Amino acid sequence: MDEAQAVLDSIEGTVGEIAVDNPKMSMRDVDVFYAEKQAIFGVDLDVANNEVIAMIGPSGCGKSTFLRCLNRMNDTIPICRVSGSVMLDGDDIYAADQDPVLLRARVGMVFQKPNPFPKSIFDNVAYGARIHGLAANRAELDDIVVGSLKRAGLYEEVKSRLDAPGTSLSGGQQQRLCIARSIAVSPEVILMDEPCSALDPIATARIEELIDELRENYAIAIVTHSMQQAARVSQRTAYFHLGKLVEVGDTNEIFTNPQHELTENYITGRFG
Amino acid sequence: MSDTTEIVKASLARRYRAERRFRFYGVLAITISLSFLAFLLISIVFRSIPAFTQSSIHLDVALDAETLGVSENPDYAELRTANYSGAIKKAMRERFPDVSKRKEKKNLYSLISSGAEFQLRDHVISDPTIIGGNTVIWLQADDELDALVAAVDDVTNIGDVKTRLNEQQRGWIAELQQAGEIKTRFNKTFFTNGDSREPELAGIKAALFGSAWTLLVTFLLSFPVAVCAAIYLEEFAPVNRWTDLIEVNINNLAAVPSIVFGLLGLAVFINFFALPRSAPLVGGIVLSLMTLPTIIISSRAALKAVPPSIREAAQGIGASQVQVVFHHVLPLAMPGILTGTIIGLAQALGETAPLLMIGMVAFIVDIPAGITDPATVLPVQVFLWADSPERAFVAKTSAAIVVLLLFLIVMNAVAVLLRKKFERRW
Amino acid sequence: MADKLHLDQHISQKFNDELEDIRSRALQMGGMVEKQVSGGLQALLEGNSELGNKVAKLDHEVNSLEVEIDEACTQVLARRQPAASDLRLIVTVIKVITDLERIGDEAEKLGRFAVDLASSRELPAYRKELRHLGELVQTMLHDALDCFARMDYEAALKVAARDDDVNAEYETLSRLLITHVMEDPRQVKNVFNITWCARALERIGDHSVNICEYVVFLVKGKDIRHTNLVDINQSLKP
Repeated sequence: MDEAQAVLDSIEGTVGEIAVDNPKMSMRDVDVFYAEKQAIFGVDLDVANNEVIAMIGPSGCGKSTFLRCLNRMNDTIPICRVSGSVMLDGDDIYAADQDPVLLRARVGMVFQKPNPFPKSIFDNVAYGARIHGLAANRAELDDIVVGSLKRAGLYEEVKSRLDAPGTSLSGGQQQRLCIARSIAVSPEVILMDEPCSALDPIATARIEELIDELRENYAIAIVTHSMQQAARVSQRTAYFHLGKLVEVGDTNEIFTNPQHELTENYITGRFG
Repeated sequence: MSDTTEIVKASLARRYRAERRFRFYGVLAITISLSFLAFLLISIVFRSIPAFTQSSIHLDVALDAETLGVSENPDYAELRTANYSGAIKKAMRERFPDVSKRKEKKNLYSLISSGAEFQLRDHVISDPTIIGGNTVIWLQADDELDALVAAVDDVTNIGDVKTRLNEQQRGWIAELQQAGEIKTRFNKTFFTNGDSREPELAGIKAALFGSAWTLLVTFLLSFPVAVCAAIYLEEFAPVNRWTDLIEVNINNLAAVPSIVFGLLGLAVFINFFALPRSAPLVGGIVLSLMTLPTIIISSRAALKAVPPSIREAAQGIGASQVQVVFHHVLPLAMPGILTGTIIGLAQALGETAPLLMIGMVAFIVDIPAGITDPATVLPVQVFLWADSPERAFVAKTSAAIVVLLLFLIVMNAVAVLLRKKFERRW
Repeated sequence: MADKLHLDQHISQKFNDELEDIRSRALQMGGMVEKQVSGGLQALLEGNSELGNKVAKLDHEVNSLEVEIDEACTQVLARRQPAASDLRLIVTVIKVITDLERIGDEAEKLGRFAVDLASSRELPAYRKELRHLGELVQTMLHDALDCFARMDYEAALKVAARDDDVNAEYETLSRLLITHVMEDPRQVKNVFNITWCARALERIGDHSVNICEYVVFLVKGKDIRHTNLVDINQSLKP
């Protein structure tokens, strides 16, 4: 415990360039507490448009917690408290006049385990559009569903069985269905919390390909345990350690020449 | 071979013996409990058999207006009050012309049930034109005769079977049997009559309807309230000292002895709110108080069992809390909630004590037509019959228990079916 | 000095061993090549055809060692997906051994010319002129390998700077040899051979510079090839 505290104290500020030219989301001095325990310590970070930012770090480093702050998923945990500023297009999403329901329509989320609703494939994708009233009639709804499935690269595989239950698909297809479900509400940012950790390498490769394509239209933040995946899909990488953001920078730079010793130790598999 | 192999080998036999011993105990325990259950069920079913059959006696009844004490063209009121009992007695005397002594005649008449006159009355009322002629009719036999013919083949040689019928009466029975004028058939009256002091006329229809009305009230009150409470506590309520307190109290409420609820019902609903005594309305309210905690607890468990990933998925695309609950969580929890409800209702169906307190123990002959009519329920009916002195009520009691058990089995089967039907994989 | 990259601190002990093995075999190959160069030079200066042959034959060993190390690096890339300093080490080793192999080839040439010269009727005295250039190049190679072993990027920059001296010496030597040809045109063949040898030594110097540049990449993660030294020193300032 004391050793961890010593390491934690030794991390002073973040190495690398935090800010980007066109920030979609901009976090400054974010602290997160679970009851009395502090999980995130003063993190500053920008998420840029048309960019994939990967968040890596050992288990319990706070990367998922931080990701869930970005669309206020932590609101559902009563003991969780967030301070600091989280800006989406310059508006603080934790301000009193900000609605978490609207926010989550703008900042979508894909989870670790594929979690389609126990409904048909069509209803899964249509659900978001339905609750937000995005489609005026059935034809528009059809367009949204087909369009989203196409963009998620799933349409060809499921077009003949849109009324089959979403849970009947394979793991990788389910995860793409979940991605289709999030993009059906046309979010501006997509958060992904270890989206491939339950998938085999081939399904993973498809999702990664999809993430790269989605980058054209969205800002994407992805938490991953796989450093190779972070290296493959992201343009920038942020390394978290014990709740602090140790280093952030260009992915190429982080994986060939990290500046901080902790980053180096983590990505090369050394005990630090 | 290594040391480990040797050591393990040495202990293997002992370990397997221990396993076999334990399996034996397990099987023994199950056998014992099953045999208790089987004993109980078999004895009840066996004892209930006589209640499901009913002996009738074939009689040729002369329906002359004089005997019946009616005019030539009787109206409905006259027909209802006519002396059918006299006609039946006359027919019996004609069937056995040798019987002359007063005592013997009385014995002879007692072979026919006292309810037979109503049978004849209904028969005549349905077709008054038969007055003046003869009619052939199967009339209900007395419960003693019923029990005897069910118990022995040859009524003149009864061995050590106990009966109140004397040798002469048994002779008549044997004669009737030889002439094919006694037959035993399925006892419809058991299901179509209310309670009666005469065992052969007593039925469970009133109690069945009473139970049904009571359960309906219980369901309508407890289900929506309990489900709303469970959803609020599980999905919306903040976690603090108050909700903790409420949770503890709900759990305690489930453990309160049911008679306490009966006293509460008596004090509050009958004495204070002046609701009708003995009515399914009050019974249902009292039973829903009892059922509420059961349904709340099982509903909360069902809601808790819905994987958080489904909630997160819905929240992640911007569903509000109410949408999350009603679109996703509740449908998935429904089978569990329904099962809990049915188990709660089954408990209520078998409950006696609180209903005794609010007067549902009354002697009810009429079928209750609504929730405010006086009524009784199946378990209370069982309790009443078990208390009655006539021997034939022993069979009736068992029969009522069998019906109650059947109801419980049906309800549990419905619970299983609902679970199967609505259960969805995720 | 391998501590600089903390090669022994991986969670996987086997990975530690594999990286250490690759590094030490690269150094072993460096040692062999160094020996080859000094042997070739000695054979040339002394007109020792036996030593010349030996040097030429040593090249087979160097080549097969290169193949072995290459294989080991490929396996680490495939199985460990190294990142950061580990990745830079593997990339550096792959490049260093390529340069070492080329140096080996140049040394082989020196050996063969030594055999040629030894068989000619009279040994030209001016072959001694190669000594100075040879010593320069030899120390340069030695120091470059030393920097690689110690992962000392500052020393590596200094060693790389010495290439200018080598080039100047090569220029002087060329002019001297041209004078010899003009004085005695019959010496053309020998002068040409000597020129080739000077050329080989100059190439060895260039390869040594490459090795120094890789050391900077290995330690600092910066590619300094094809840039001038002033910029490099600027960019490496902490």
